[in-house]
Amino acid sequence: MHIMKEKNRHMTYLKIDNNKGYYRIEETTEDWVELDQISKDDLLKLLKKATTEEFGMNEYDNELLQNPAHNIIYKNIYGKFTELLNNKTRFQDSVNLMYKSAIDKYTIELNEE
Amino acid sequence: MKRIDLHTHTISTVSDSDFEFSLTKVKEYVEKLELDAIAITNHNTFDSKQYFEIQNSLSIIVFPGIEIDLEGGHILVITDTNDFEISDFEQRCNRVSSIIRTNEDTLAIEQFNEIFPDLSKYILIPHTDKNPNIKQETIDSLKPHITSGEVASISKFKRALKDVDGLVPVLFSDVRFKVQLNNFPTRQTYIDLNDISLSGIKSCLFDRSKISLTKESGNDFFQATAEGLVLSTGLTIMLGERSSGKSVTLNKISASSGNAKYIKQFSLLHNDEQQFNETNNTRLSLVRHNFLGEFRKVVEKIVQVDIEQNHIEIENYLDSLKKFASENEKKDLYSKCVIFSENTFTVNDLTNLDKVIKAVETLIKNNEYQDIIQKHLETKNLKSLAIELNQKAFDSNVDNNKKNWINSLTNDITRELRIKTTGSVIEDLDFYKIALDEVKVNKFNNVTSELKINRNIHKEELGKFTIVTSTNKIEGATDLQKIGRDKKAYSTAFGYYNVSAYQYLLKLKELGVEDASLFNFFIKIESITLNKDGFVVSGGERSEFNLIHEIQDATKYDLLLIDEPESSFDNNFLNREINSIIKHISTLMPVVVVTHNSTVGASIKPNFLAITKKSLEDSVFIYRIYTGYPSDKELVSLDGNKIENYDTLLSCLEAGLDAYNERKEQAYDILKN
Repeated sequence: MHIMKEKNRHMTYLKIDNNKGYYRIEETTEDWVELDQISKDDLLKLLKKATTEEFGMNEYDNELLQNPAHNIIYKNIYGKFTELLNNKTRFQDSVNLMYKSAIDKYTIELNEE
Repeated sequence: MKRIDLHTHTISTVSDSDFEFSLTKVKEYVEKLELDAIAITNHNTFDSKQYFEIQNSLSIIVFPGIEIDLEGGHILVITDTNDFEISDFEQRCNRVSSIIRTNEDTLAIEQFNEIFPDLSKYILIPHTDKNPNIKQETIDSLKPHITSGEVASISKFKRALKDVDGLVPVLFSDVRFKVQLNNFPTRQTYIDLNDISLSGIKSCLFDRSKISLTKESGNDFFQATAEGLVLSTGLTIMLGERSSGKSVTLNKISASSGNAKYIKQFSLLHNDEQQFNETNNTRLSLVRHNFLGEFRKVVEKIVQVDIEQNHIEIENYLDSLKKFASENEKKDLYSKCVIFSENTFTVNDLTNLDKVIKAVETLIKNNEYQDIIQKHLETKNLKSLAIELNQKAFDSNVDNNKKNWINSLTNDITRELRIKTTGSVIEDLDFYKIALDEVKVNKFNNVTSELKINRNIHKEELGKFTIVTSTNKIEGATDLQKIGRDKKAYSTAFGYYNVSAYQYLLKLKELGVEDASLFNFFIKIESITLNKDGFVVSGGERSEFNLIHEIQDATKYDLLLIDEPESSFDNNFLNREINSIIKHISTLMPVVVVTHNSTVGASIKPNFLAITKKSLEDSVFIYRIYTGYPSDKELVSLDGNKIENYDTLLSCLEAGLDAYNERKEQAYDILKN
């Protein structure tokens, strides 16, 4: 049985319970939704959480996820989000190069005037 | 005054046409043109072994250098002549060679700065008014190390010299010392310096009062042949009896210039009709190119649109949707997942936003029209706008990145779910693209109907002639064969010409018309040349038209040479039409006219005179060219001989004194003692 550490419980967004996967959008409520209901808009909301806040997930465990559809979804989300958590600024980094220098340049020039 | 040429080639590289190097030619060149210093500047390469070979065989200073492809333009980098610098320079140049391997490659400014970290050691001369020129922003970023820029011709030199805010212009030969080189170029620069040194040259290239086109005659003259003939940068009239060396001299001037427009004697009388047609076709293709420029871009875009394929995709989508709906009751574990039947996120196209940002930045950076811009838009507002737009672009790009990331995640999930499910799958479909394609086709049909309205699109006055270019609707398959210059069976395609521009386009494609030339097939563009009475030109008028055209065409060259225009035309025409055109062109570039005709010779009021003379001395024919101002009493040859201007002019232009008396009051008074 997978046991979560108590201090991390509040920031968990993806959990495994009773052979099924669950997700939630708000960490404050206990409104857990079954993973087969997750939509792309929900994923975008989770992405926002993952890049701006503490973000925890139950580790993926093939044995514990007996529902095969849930298993597929969980496995993919878990993999992709773990990768993301290692580099939270990836979406900004590539874009920074192109626009941030212009923004900084003009901001400095404006402040000087 | 010292004469220098800091741009020469001794190695054939990927950027040159193939040539075989000749050391003898370098020696001959330096001797004949009396040069005081040269630089060896091959494309993106420096070979110290060859450099020392050249230096050791000459008595003048030879500077080591390189011509580098930098940000799409060319720049000369010239260094000092001590052994340490040469060895250091060669190592750096080798790094340039390793980066630039084809004639498509070019160094980025960052790479250049990295390879040559201490630019103060060198003389840097970018191509400014010469192709391929270095961009202004690149020059700005290399300041203060750049003070001079290379130009391509005498007229460009003079123009740049007047622009006191610009770089100091220099004119160099850019010569390839090849075995076959016979007429040496006369493009060099004089600098006001006593002893040649790298720092001395550098200080001259900082000061436009220290550079000049000639040794003693300033900048209103230039050396026209390697033998030392100096002519006006305005209009020079060359006179002389038959076979006294006029045409030979013109040929030499032409060869030394490298880019002269040379209108040869009688050339306009041969095949005047063919030449007239060719001239018109060239002109027409230019007008066509300008008029159809935008339409061409439209066609390039619309060719990519495949409405038929779009309709197939819609059918497939609807079929899969219906099937999915009918199987709704039988949904399994996998197909019941929400993500299974969702479309992916559409990623926003941000091209327009980037264009707007570029435009605003152009407004901020532009110096040329800054006063006008600021009258309407305050710089501080433009900067705030730039910040907000950049911020918007930043956010939208981040947003796109996120959506792409989610799309790849949902694709992974649905792919796995689809493998497992027994239910059917809804095909993905980009409604936005399909709708956009429909709009594009509608717009294309509208644009084409506008285009098909007959109209006059261009009118050009050329002397007494007027050329009117107009567009007309295609009237049948024969017109299309003329446009395509082939015998394809265009009649089926033409059947759609008045029905739907898009369908017509598809039919042309089916016929095998190349995508790039499709835009030509929508209208006819024709021109007619009218004389001053508004009638289509006659045969006799065609050669007059050709001459005017040829002279106008000269503005694309560095120098205009005309050999006996009177051989093809009557005085009336020359006096009325040609003289004023020649005078005008001579304010833009050097012009040399050879003539026997008094209408051209005297009434045109040249800036300078050159008279060729053949004399028999000790049983040998000696050819001399005497030059001077029209008002000089005597003209002087290169070897110091003198002749009376007045007498010679009369005998060259008129059949002696009798004929002269008739014209006395008109032109020659200025010359009379």
